[in-house]
Amino acid sequence: MAPDSTPPPEIVCTGIAKTFEGGTKAVQALDLTFAAGQTTALVGPSGCGKSTLLRMIAGLEVPSAGEVLIGGAPPAETLRKAGLSVAFQDPSLLPWRSVRGNIELALSLARRPVDATAVDQLVTLVGLDGFSDARPAELSGGMRQRAAIARALATKPGLLLLDEPFGAVDELTRQQLAQDLPRIWEAQGTTTLLVTHSVSEAVLLSDRVIVLSPRPAKVVADISISLPRPRTTQMGRSNEATDLIDAVFAALAEGMAAAERPLAAQ
Amino acid sequence: MTGLAWRRVRARRIPHIRVGPWLGIFVLFAGWELAGRLLTDAFVLAAPSDILRYLSTEWQLMTRALWVTLGNAAAGFVIGNLAALSLAGLALVWPRSERVVTGLALLVFCLPLVATGPILRVFFGPGSGPQIVLAALAVYYTTLIPLLVGLRAAPDSWFDLVRSYGRGRFAALVHVRAMAALPYLFTGLQIAAPAAFLGAMVGEFTGAERGMGVLTIRALRALDVDMTWALATVATAVAIFAYLAIGALARRVLLAEPPVILATPMSDSAKRTAWRDAGLVAACAIMAWAGAIWLFDLNPFFAKGPGQVFDALFLASDAQQTRTVLGDALTETALFLVPGYLAGLLAGAGLAVMLVLVPALSSIAMPLAIALRSVPIVTTAPLVVLLLGRGATGTITLVAVMVFFPTLVACLHGLRQTPGQVLDVFDSYAAGPFTRLIRVRIPAMLPAFFAAARMAVPASVLAVTVAEWLATGAGIGSLMALSASLSDYDMLWSSVVIVSVLSAVGYALVSVIERRVLARYAPEQLS
Repeated sequence: MAPDSTPPPEIVCTGIAKTFEGGTKAVQALDLTFAAGQTTALVGPSGCGKSTLLRMIAGLEVPSAGEVLIGGAPPAETLRKAGLSVAFQDPSLLPWRSVRGNIELALSLARRPVDATAVDQLVTLVGLDGFSDARPAELSGGMRQRAAIARALATKPGLLLLDEPFGAVDELTRQQLAQDLPRIWEAQGTTTLLVTHSVSEAVLLSDRVIVLSPRPAKVVADISISLPRPRTTQMGRSNEATDLIDAVFAALAEGMAAAERPLAAQ
Repeated sequence: MTGLAWRRVRARRIPHIRVGPWLGIFVLFAGWELAGRLLTDAFVLAAPSDILRYLSTEWQLMTRALWVTLGNAAAGFVIGNLAALSLAGLALVWPRSERVVTGLALLVFCLPLVATGPILRVFFGPGSGPQIVLAALAVYYTTLIPLLVGLRAAPDSWFDLVRSYGRGRFAALVHVRAMAALPYLFTGLQIAAPAAFLGAMVGEFTGAERGMGVLTIRALRALDVDMTWALATVATAVAIFAYLAIGALARRVLLAEPPVILATPMSDSAKRTAWRDAGLVAACAIMAWAGAIWLFDLNPFFAKGPGQVFDALFLASDAQQTRTVLGDALTETALFLVPGYLAGLLAGAGLAVMLVLVPALSSIAMPLAIALRSVPIVTTAPLVVLLLGRGATGTITLVAVMVFFPTLVACLHGLRQTPGQVLDVFDSYAAGPFTRLIRVRIPAMLPAFFAAARMAVPASVLAVTVAEWLATGAGIGSLMALSASLSDYDMLWSSVVIVSVLSAVGYALVSVIERRVLARYAPEQLS
């Protein structure tokens, strides 16, 4: 673990709910605890409120009810200390800054000293050697996602929140990222929450998969993943992994079936 | 060598020189020279060679005047843009104020510059004050609008990023908003630079001692054709140069071309509060007006407050007569303004559509139109008068030309916004160019067209009042000129107020039509 990184916190959500203006209920009374240093995947159908849940934990959205505690303190406290990072669905790189400039932005926003060697190491880690000075417009979708992940890791956060970080990436790059990146955040020792649509990705990346129902999100299943680490793409084809993937699919289907409105009516 | 291979070789040898605009400019000048030679005896048109000859003999007079006007324009440019920056800042810090800020800004932008000149002259006395203020007035709105759009142009996730590191609005302004707004600021400045020159010249039309505007008046009175054309040519060259210089600066600073911003996007929430906002704007305007007179303790003979204007229009013994005079003048002006405005819109949109049907022409016309859009058309008012006389044709043409260029550029831009995939769908059904035009391209052009139509309202009012003030002796412009020279300040202030209010109302009317049409053809623009 790097010396200046924040220790990974435990996250406790008690009865959190979110109702948007206009009455849309995104999340309804969820109780969830995420153990320190674990990677948890949140899986659920589109629009089920999983991103809202992530944003409430990140302190970007205020819950309508209930509370979130990160290491015993409200998210605002963690934000104030720049103790978390979010990798958004869209890489959200500032177009006028280079890859290096975007990574350095995270450090200066977090009021941390900018260490050029550390930034170079991050660029190498995400496989963007030679592209430090490239602007986002010159990069492919996958490269942008990797730059965004490098940015999220730059502050060595104790809590890493990934909202479909591989959303815009082609399948091959996605597999490569899924294999390489967990090693980085595992080495840094973070509590990681991952929102994803991809069941196999959820199983392969995490210690635990939480399956959510259609909106408003409720927990349908809580599946712990005991595949050995480090994980490889090949592992995803093992019997153990296939069983877990089937179990997640079954839970998703169950959640959909139990939903008040069938999909066709939405 | 086959034709194809030859073309490839040639394309490689001269990869980036665009012939189109140069060809267009050459044709323009050749035609102008020819017409000038043919019409030598008519005393209306000076050929480029005549203008060059005049400039080479009178260069000292011209450069002296040019420096004066440039200095005033530069001062106004700086002041107007600083005002725009502070107004945008206010709208940013206090978002609720934005509608009132833009409303007041529009109302001030609608002030008839020609009549504002003499009023300012009374307060500033001799010197450059009025010219600088008019230049600033001509500038701030063209910068404010793109700036407001630019400050909101960043996607939400960039702000989430800033917040996710525990930072607030100030960090977001420094790291995200300011940089994201930069291209929009340049767009504004690019239009503002020629506008500042226009404002300074209009200020000089109305009672200055030195400058290009003063020489223009002198040339016009003396019926000196060469001098009139030389002045207009210099003004045009300065405007185009300023436009291109800021464009070049923008290209050095920015990653991409500055965006084309035509007007503030309309918002649905604005509709619900439109009446309340209009009322607030009116109240603020009246308070600021009365407040300024009280604060600066202005002489009531020159400075008429809201109460006095109301008196003059409704309560005084000659109120009926004042209203009749104003009404007649306004009717006379409307007879020039409305046909010119509509003709300019139609010609702009029509030419844009034609250019799209003949793409080869478009590469020649687009750069020319963009450059000519920057020409302060009003400074060429004397030419139009020379060419077409002091009657209706001249004024209507001037208004039409004033409206034409921005509309053409906006419509060409709008036509380019047609989504390629939609056109592909039409292609897959083998739809002809006209079907595509009617069903896809024109609807895609509508938002840009209406944005141009809205902004053209104050512009055409400016054009018509300048023409009437300078030359035709008819309409509200002439009434204002007459009132200024007779020191009839009741009439002058009343005219200024009524013209401003009517242009603002015209702008609002176009917005209403725009909303109706876009609700049907481009509902996404109203969200």
